[in-house]
Amino acid sequence: NANDTGLGIDEEVEVSKNIRVPRVKLDEHRLLSAAGIPKLRRKAKDLKFKGKGHEYSDAARLLAFYQLWLDDLFPKARFLDALAMVEKAGHKRQLQTMRMEWINEGRPKSSVREDS
Amino acid sequence: MEFDDSRKDVVDPEVRAYVSSLVSALGGNGADEDGRYVLGDDALACLRDLKKWLKLYDEKANRLDVARCLAESNLVGGDLLQILAAWPENATADRLKSKIALSCLELLVPLTWPLEKNTEQMTVNHHRHMPYLQIAQLGYKRAVINYDGARILHTAVRCALPSMAEAIGDRSTRDEGIIKLVLYFLRNIVMIAPPPSVQYEGDEAEISRSATIDAFDYQDIFHLLLTVSSSMGEDFNTQDIVVMEILFYLIKGVDVETLFQDDEKAGNVKVDEMVRLRKKEAAMLRSYQSNAPTRHNRFGAMVWLQRDDAKMTTISGQAALTDTARGLAKMDSTKKFKPPRRAIKGDTGPMDFEIPVTLSTQANKHLSAFVEDFLDAGFNPLFNHIRKAIDREAERVLEYHKRQFFYLVSWFLSAERARRKSKKLLVERKSSTADDIDNFALVASVLNQEMFVTLNRAMDSTFENKLWPDLSAAMRCFTQILLTVQEMSESPLEEDQDIAENILNRIFYEEETHDRVASITRTYKDQGFGYLDSCTELTHNYLRILEQYSKQNVDLQVRSRRRVRRKKRSAGEAGGDDSNNDVDDSEGEDEARAEKTTRERKFDFKRFASRFLSQGCIDTFVAFTNYYNDLKPSQLKRSHRFFYRIAFKQEMSVMLFRVDIVALLYKMIKGPEGLDPQASHFKEWDDLVKQLIKKCTRKIQERPELVVELLFSKTNGTAHYLEYGYEKQTVTTK
Repeated sequence: NANDTGLGIDEEVEVSKNIRVPRVKLDEHRLLSAAGIPKLRRKAKDLKFKGKGHEYSDAARLLAFYQLWLDDLFPKARFLDALAMVEKAGHKRQLQTMRMEWINEGRPKSSVREDS
Repeated sequence: MEFDDSRKDVVDPEVRAYVSSLVSALGGNGADEDGRYVLGDDALACLRDLKKWLKLYDEKANRLDVARCLAESNLVGGDLLQILAAWPENATADRLKSKIALSCLELLVPLTWPLEKNTEQMTVNHHRHMPYLQIAQLGYKRAVINYDGARILHTAVRCALPSMAEAIGDRSTRDEGIIKLVLYFLRNIVMIAPPPSVQYEGDEAEISRSATIDAFDYQDIFHLLLTVSSSMGEDFNTQDIVVMEILFYLIKGVDVETLFQDDEKAGNVKVDEMVRLRKKEAAMLRSYQSNAPTRHNRFGAMVWLQRDDAKMTTISGQAALTDTARGLAKMDSTKKFKPPRRAIKGDTGPMDFEIPVTLSTQANKHLSAFVEDFLDAGFNPLFNHIRKAIDREAERVLEYHKRQFFYLVSWFLSAERARRKSKKLLVERKSSTADDIDNFALVASVLNQEMFVTLNRAMDSTFENKLWPDLSAAMRCFTQILLTVQEMSESPLEEDQDIAENILNRIFYEEETHDRVASITRTYKDQGFGYLDSCTELTHNYLRILEQYSKQNVDLQVRSRRRVRRKKRSAGEAGGDDSNNDVDDSEGEDEARAEKTTRERKFDFKRFASRFLSQGCIDTFVAFTNYYNDLKPSQLKRSHRFFYRIAFKQEMSVMLFRVDIVALLYKMIKGPEGLDPQASHFKEWDDLVKQLIKKCTRKIQERPELVVELLFSKTNGTAHYLEYGYEKQTVTTK
């Protein structure tokens, strides 16, 4: 038949593109997901400080708190690099409105200025 | 021979044949003349022909072939320098010999001319020859300044002496050309330095800055520079820019402080330096050792870190056994991912002035003697002249000359201050009366209003056009002017105080300058350490000096008012009968008015300082502090004061509460690779960091929403709310 004579030249060759797996990014969507800032806020209630006289151990505890959270959220980047990424994502509109909301939650409700 | 011809030469063989026949016809070392150099019969014509070759072949066709041939045939070391050396001092009147010497110079200048890598005009030939020629130029420089038989630079200057002796009006164009030629020759010799990309194989000491300075001193070039610069505007006119270039390449990168230490003290400092460095190294090693494993490297400890959600993390090594912080650091350091980074937009050409240079003791002495003489005689005429040339955009002023100008002004101003300081110490040590304190007239030419206009314009345009190294130079200049003015205001001479007060007054109320300084500091991004250094230095001193000015107490003002009145009165007496303006200034009113102005100034300063209260400015200082292990104590002090001002004077410590800043501050104190605990500045940093962390933890407990905000940059509005718990009332101030 035809296929034998043409040595397979006429056959259509299917070119399959190997699509790369998209790179994981630490962006605002990841930050707003359940493992992101909501988890940070939840866990923050367990964060306790010793206060005066224990400044450096307090700071170490604070830093470890953030580092472990970031390691869970985005394991591949180092701590300081990840912090820079988070900071950058913080300029996104979506995150800014959320930040505003979180701040407003802590605001006293019966404020005179809020009505105006 | 056949092999040589069959291989394709990089230069057209015909050109090479012509050029080398010219070089050999020039002359040579005669065997029957005890090896002395003997000129060829038509040496002058040969020199002229070579010049023509350089001009008509290389320059016209935009190639470097002839220059390459000349470098290969060792024309400079083998012929030109020997010819120049054979022109004895007492034969200056010999017309033929002086003509030949001049022709040699005419060849030397294009051969030593800086090779620019201008990518738009570079041809294949340039790429081919330039690396070779750069190395060849280093050889030229070595030969010129280390020539044994004669003082080559001095001889070169002798070529121009007859032309310089002429009055400026009587000089022909040829005379002007000769003077320019000599100055450019000097410029080229100073400027030649090993390019950063090339490894120089010879002895670096032979072409170093110290060797150049020693040669300049030995060959009386400093005298020439002093003469030309001190009579700038009278006997010389268009040479200002070249002289400036020579000065720039002579002093760039030299540390002013070490320049003005006397020998005995310098020796002590060197010993101290040694002790200090050993201590620093010991501290470094100590911090490593406390973190180093105590067992051999295959001991193989492995630690599980229990995380929540029943997760485990394994960490190998002993680090995690003792301390969680170190375990976490170890966990962090094993991560491989690196976010893409942008390259730093620094400058590393011959114009770069950030690279520090160390001088030998001998060169140090020569240079400081020259700098003192220059400040006494040449500073005002030269820089005034150049400033005028820049303002009127004279044709000879190129774009990069402004950078050199500002850098030089800043350098010499700081040199003048260093000299005053050392002089003051000397006076105190001898406990003699300090009756001959000189005023600041020696540097007055850069403290006038015109200079401020020029400087402001330059800062504006360079900032707008993103010419960072130029802006960096201008900022340094502005900083030094500010420091000089401040020193002037403390001078015992009333006249100096008056001038300083006037200048400060003007700066204090110039909103435009405030805005510019603040926005420069705010917008730092990847401009390199030199730029970062100059902009933080400017911000620090600007804030400090204006704060001091705003704090000037009442009686100081009353005194200054009284001074003004007294002057007016004496002027009135001299002038005649305009004494009516004395009536409204009475002693009683003085104090009330002074009190009012001090209050106003305090308010103004507060408004001004709040401009620096933005996240951008803080980020700039954080970026600067990140280099803490390489900073000098004075530089560290700069960022310490800035953070202190933000947190405690302006009470906006919330702006500093960001995780990366806390991490940096923690690392500075607690390590690894922290500040040296024995250093003098460690204590104040320790205090500051402790205070900040205390405030931070307290604030987090007070406002739990800060836990999220600790991750991000805050706007002033949110920061104010977090700090005080209420919105900032926006009062419309005028």
